Amino acid sequence: MITNLDLLDIGLPTLDGTVTLGSVLKFILILSFSILLAKILSLYLRRSLKDRVSKDMAETIIKVFYYGMLTIVFLSNVSLIGIDPSAFLVAGGVTGIILGFASQNIVGNLVSGFFLMVERPIKIGDQVQISDVSGYVTDIRIISTHIRTFEGLLVRIPNQQVFTTNITNIVGHPVRRFEYTIRIRYSDDANAAIWLIKDIIDKEPFALLNPSPSVFVSDLGESSVNISVRIWAPVNEWFGIKTRILWNIKQALEENGIEIPLPQRIIRIQTDFQKVPEELKPVKEIESILNYEERVLS
Amino acid sequence: MYGHYNPPFSVEQEGIVISVTKIGEQWIYRRTLGTDNVEKIILGDEKRLIINPVEPLNTPKEITPNLLIEFEKILLLAAGAKRKIFLTFPIEIGVFIADKGDKNLQLLDVLSLVRQKFTLYGEVSNGVICKHWKSQIYSISPSPNPLQEGVIELTLRNASSDWASISKVVFSAYGMKLYYAGDVFTRARMDILNKNTAETGFELQYLSGELKSSPLKDFKTRKEAFGVYSLQKLGFAPLKFYMGWGF
Repeated sequence: MITNLDLLDIGLPTLDGTVTLGSVLKFILILSFSILLAKILSLYLRRSLKDRVSKDMAETIIKVFYYGMLTIVFLSNVSLIGIDPSAFLVAGGVTGIILGFASQNIVGNLVSGFFLMVERPIKIGDQVQISDVSGYVTDIRIISTHIRTFEGLLVRIPNQQVFTTNITNIVGHPVRRFEYTIRIRYSDDANAAIWLIKDIIDKEPFALLNPSPSVFVSDLGESSVNISVRIWAPVNEWFGIKTRILWNIKQALEENGIEIPLPQRIIRIQTDFQKVPEELKPVKEIESILNYEERVLS
Repeated sequence: MYGHYNPPFSVEQEGIVISVTKIGEQWIYRRTLGTDNVEKIILGDEKRLIINPVEPLNTPKEITPNLLIEFEKILLLAAGAKRKIFLTFPIEIGVFIADKGDKNLQLLDVLSLVRQKFTLYGEVSNGVICKHWKSQIYSISPSPNPLQEGVIELTLRNASSDWASISKVVFSAYGMKLYYAGDVFTRARMDILNKNTAETGFELQYLSGELKSSPLKDFKTRKEAFGVYSLQKLGFAPLKFYMGWGF
């Protein structure tokens, strides 16, 4: 009669010995316990790193710790299921080729994910544009990068695509510039308008002193004098300032009698009382027309 | 205005009105400055409020821990020289709530009476954003309005072998310690390492001995102010600032 304990001893012969159901269960148990322990330790690590390092740096440290721990546990216990860890080294080349062909995309994404973590063109929390997706980076995983679009949608982009495409990091530098074109009438004083705009910029705390803002007449348009306004602001504040300053400029200009003109076209109608209607005019004989045929034929 | 207050109380100075009143079982904190009003409910008894100067980096929004003070005139310091100058710096007024004995300190409110402006120190690609302030250079301690400005006693050391032309100094607020009595005072240093680089930092020692008996405040003992940055966990935040893009 076979008992439960005997069942655990039933084994399959391998090159390195016999793999029993017990050893497989032991391997699964160790791996499960390791995953649980790695998760708990990651949680503890996340708590202790909070306020000490930046969020993206903390996430990278945690991921390296988590997957590193699991890899070590897996390799040190893989013999329980009849696999010799040294075989990984021996068969590494062949396995690599096979795996490469079988899982090109996964390995490609994995390698890209590794390089993304090392090169760090983007960080968690950055505002980025990758291909045609714009938004905040919420997570950089080993296979994919998660973006929360400005509309609040979650977009998962494979790391291979992230790594090989153009990335625009909107917050890659500490400051950025934005620009307006303010149109005023030709009858308005452009110097006064420039002074008013500069005064508004000066009162805005986040409009940086250095790099200095510039306000100048950039174009004499069809129906307006165009004033260019260029302002530098901290990357995390620029959008709020941009909307705020534009409205303040409009209000200040209007309060001082400077108006933003509508497109206009001046039409001059010339009244000539001596003018005779065309149909009553005697047709002049124009030699060039009259003799045209003759000239062509000759 | 600076000091410790036991609720209920009301204090008013230079357009700032701060009060704590009891309505039923709740304490109501109210602060008015121009059109800006703040009202908070406090649940808890036996608390007291502390109003003192804090680092000038919290309003209108905390976006940087760095303060850049631009000099009105360029200062030239000879090679190997060590000199003391006085500068002014902006002050923010912090309102804290604490248990008796100033334990369990919590920031309640921060306000400012001075002009707010930011600037970039360094390059667009890798510079740092700083709160900006322009100051004259004084050889003796000035007496500005303590609700608006404080005084920095800055020790300049030129360790290089060339003249140093100084137009600005940048500090990290993580090391800033403010002391107040009738004025607001702090001590800092700027070590010029070479033509383009310098290191700055605040003096962390408590006011005792030498400074207490300083002729500047020979009869007063200043109190150490609670800072907003000192409430935060410092982690790996550097207390010194390395000025690598010139001064």
